[in-house]
Formats: sequence, C-alpha cells, structure tokens
Amino acid sequence: MNKLRGKVAVVGIGEVPTGRYPELDCMDYLVESSYQAVQDAGIDKDEIDFVIPCGTVYFQGFNSDLITSRIVEELGLKRVRNNAQVFSGGATSATMLKIAGSLIYAGEAKNVLCVHADKLGTGLTGQAGIDLFAYAGIHREWEVPFGQHYSAIAGLSLTRYMHETGTTDEHIAAVQVSNRKWAELNPNAMFRKPLTIEEVLKSKMLSTPLRAKQSNMLADGGSAFIVTEAQRAKDLTEKPVYLLGGGSRVTHYSISQEKDITRFGYADAAREAFQQAQLSPGDIDIAELYDSYPIYELIALEELGFVGRGEGGQFFLDGNTWPGGKLPVTTNGGMSSQGHTGGGGGVAILVEAIRQLMGKAGQRQAKGARFAAVSATGGTYMDAHVEILGTEIP
Amino acid sequence: MTDINTIPQRPVPEKSRVATPFWNAMRENKFLIQKCNSCKNYVFYPRIRCPHCFSDNLDWEEASGKGTVYSYTTVLNNAPSGFINEMPYTVAIIRLAEGVQMLSNIVGCDPHEVECDMPVEVVFEKLNDEVTLPKFKPAKT
Repeated sequence: MNKLRGKVAVVGIGEVPTGRYPELDCMDYLVESSYQAVQDAGIDKDEIDFVIPCGTVYFQGFNSDLITSRIVEELGLKRVRNNAQVFSGGATSATMLKIAGSLIYAGEAKNVLCVHADKLGTGLTGQAGIDLFAYAGIHREWEVPFGQHYSAIAGLSLTRYMHETGTTDEHIAAVQVSNRKWAELNPNAMFRKPLTIEEVLKSKMLSTPLRAKQSNMLADGGSAFIVTEAQRAKDLTEKPVYLLGGGSRVTHYSISQEKDITRFGYADAAREAFQQAQLSPGDIDIAELYDSYPIYELIALEELGFVGRGEGGQFFLDGNTWPGGKLPVTTNGGMSSQGHTGGGGGVAILVEAIRQLMGKAGQRQAKGARFAAVSATGGTYMDAHVEILGTEIP
Repeated sequence: MTDINTIPQRPVPEKSRVATPFWNAMRENKFLIQKCNSCKNYVFYPRIRCPHCFSDNLDWEEASGKGTVYSYTTVLNNAPSGFINEMPYTVAIIRLAEGVQMLSNIVGCDPHEVECDMPVEVVFEKLNDEVTLPKFKPAKT
C-alpha cells in the first residue's frame, strides 16, 4: 500500500437515489451509475479495460450475471480485458479501491470501473430481509441456532460499549440525529425528514438497547467510481482524488469470536493509513465513517483518533459532526439515513468522500475539504478498513 | 396475529464433521471443548487444526461449564422467522472459564437481571432427539 501513495486517483463518480423503486430493475441502477461515472470522468466508455462489480445480495442469480461479465455486455464496453468481482460485504468499497489501485500501479489496468447495485428495498419483503441477515455472515453451526441476527449484534456491541464507557442512550441517538442532518441535504438519501433525539428514543426497541430508529433500512440503490493512474488523472480533471494511504485488519468471522466488540481492528488500520498518508487525524477535513448501525460509526470516530475513547457520544451530541461543524462526519447520512443497499452502503460512503473532495456535494459541501478519512467494515464487523484520500499529495 | 402454522421451525445447527464429539456429548448433557495437545490452549468452537499453533493434535475435555457474560442483548422485535415465538429472548457472548468465547442464550432469569460480567453456568436445552444446545443461567453464588 505504501507504493500506491499518490499513484492512483478517482476521476469520476456516479450514484442513483437510494430508496424503494419497484418499477426499476437492478440493471437500471448499474447502468445509470456507470454512465454517470464515465461522464464525470470525461473518458470514453471504451477506455475502461477492467470492470470490478461488487457483489449483489438480493438475488444470487443476478450476482452470477455480474460474475459472468453481464455489465460489460450491457454497457457495450469494447476493450475490457478482465471482469472480476470483488466482494467483502460492506467493506467492498475499500477492497475494490485497493485492488483497482494495485492493478493500475502494476500496469495490469489503465481505467477501472468499480460499480455496485442492489435491490434490497423492493427485491425482498420485510421479514425476508430480516431472515437474510440472520444468516449472511453468521455462523450456521455456532450462532444461527441462538437467534443471532444483525440487530442483536448491534445490541451486543452497544451493551458492552455503554458498560465500558458510560455512554448514554442519548449519546447514541445523537449519532443518528447527526446522520439525518446530512441526509436532509442529500437528494439521494432515503430519509430526509428532520429527526430528534426524543423521536429516536421513543421508537420501538428491537434488540436492547438498539431501537428501530437507530437501525438501517434496506434499500435499492447503486453507485460507481472510476480509478486511473495519477498522471492521467491530472489531465482529466482539476481535482483528482488521490489514494494517499490505507490500512486494514481482518479480526473474525463470528462476532462471538471477537475479543473486543467495542473496538475491532480500527486503531491498527488507522495507524497504518495515517502513516502512509503522512497525515494525522488533525489534518482531516471530513470523516466518512461506515455506520450500518450508529454504534459502529461512533467506535470508528474514536478508534481512528478523532476523539478519545468514550468521548464520541458527546462530540456528536454537541453538533461537532453536523453541517457547519468542526468535523463533518458521514455526510451522505450513512446507511441509517441514506439507506442500506448491502455491499453498496460502504461504496456510497466512499463515493461521498470523493464527491466532497471534488467539491461536488452541493448543499452539503464541506468548504475547502482537502483530506478525507473513510472507514469500512463488512459482515459482522469482521474487518476494519481505513483509507485516506486527498486532492493533493502531502 | 401470527399464524403459528406458518412460522418456520427454529433453525438447528448445521453440524460440522469436526464437532461430532461435541454434539454427541451434548445429547448426554455433557459439555466438551477441545484442548490442543501441542500448545495446551483451549479451543472453541471446534476446529480442524489448532488456531494458535496449527497442530491437528486436538483432544476433547469436559468444560467447567462456568463463565461470565461478556455482552448481551434481549430481542423484543424483528426477530428472524424461526425465533418470532421465542421473543423476548436474550442473546449473549459468554466468556468461559477456559478462556474461550461462545454465543448462547441466557435462560432461567428475567432478562432485566442480566448484566455484563455476571457469572453464569451451563444448562442443557434439548431441542429434539438429535440436538441439545448449551445455554447459560445465572450461577449460584
């Protein structure tokens, strides 16, 4: 990863609105996101020589299509040499970017299209969504038989985190309120109505102490980005977004096997990423932190070093992370407000970081943002990824 | 009202070959865990090779059945289909005295009485003739 520092850049992004669109096909999201990314990059579609589709979860048959190059055919890409799926669940944003960058650096690819779409909002009924996430990434011998599922996993992390740090329900609710303030300004977000701490705390209890309005909502959606070599990027756009550093750790598969479900591997991942970027948390203008549930966004804020352990809740509650705040955090509204599109929830957060750095975030633009930290995690928070992006190479 | 007849059965463990001695002992209300003969570490869940030293020289030992609650959550809404009839139920990560962790349920007490670091002990819950699950209740003090 050290070698990649400043060598590759994202030059184009695309995204369709996240929500419930029964009248649209998953292919609509894929084609539109890819089209936007190509237009944004200002390249010819036939310059794309490597396609990386993220995994789609709602229907295995559709995912098989992506593995077997359907997106290349649908887009009519004429000079693609490889189509290879990369899938690490919610962490795919990070692994796609890292793999795309490595291929470019090694000379195996010139312009890589990374694309995601899923139809979790209308491709599944409500209970089928709950049931899917009572198996996906959950051990069928040692966890499924005990009623494990993702709300319970968030409940387990919350219980222990609050026990160790004294963080309150109000603090946790403040994370979701912060995300919603950003989503209000995001035309692609699913939930855009203002939300108060009281409303969060009045919503029904799912798995103690996790409440319904602290949960993500499954959604349809898609997003894409194009990675290219740094020199080429400068010719294409005034503001290429360089990959400056990255760090990661895989800690477990089953959440019950993780020694610290309130920290994971974020601190080690962050140390690596900041070292490679030659930056520190104080240099970062925006933090695009993966949520899926607010507790994991809170953990990332602390473990990446933006605030001390146990201080994150108050930092959110005081409005530091809001539009106009000291450190804008998860400025698309996160999966809890923009919507949870499977592996794409993380891709949307990465695309938002790029959008902010490119200065294309419209009403929610963080002024003068030069450096962003992005976190991602997949499965039952099996891995911790941190990427540092910037519009200049420090 | 949910129709009882349409609710799927509670899922049973998809048993692995390596865990056969564990599941066989469970049926006799015995709780076995692996111990590595090479590095002497306890291992749970059952592995093909020791996750500490990579040896395949693993033996079975009866566990103390005692541990503490690392964390817990009580499921009140939106349970998976097979557990709709079980609500409210408490899911917990147990730290066994042997130093390994496992997922289970806390039974035999009001969910409000469960706390982090609370001592617990194993109880055996027979699901059917083939499957008995290890669950945990507050330890007698």
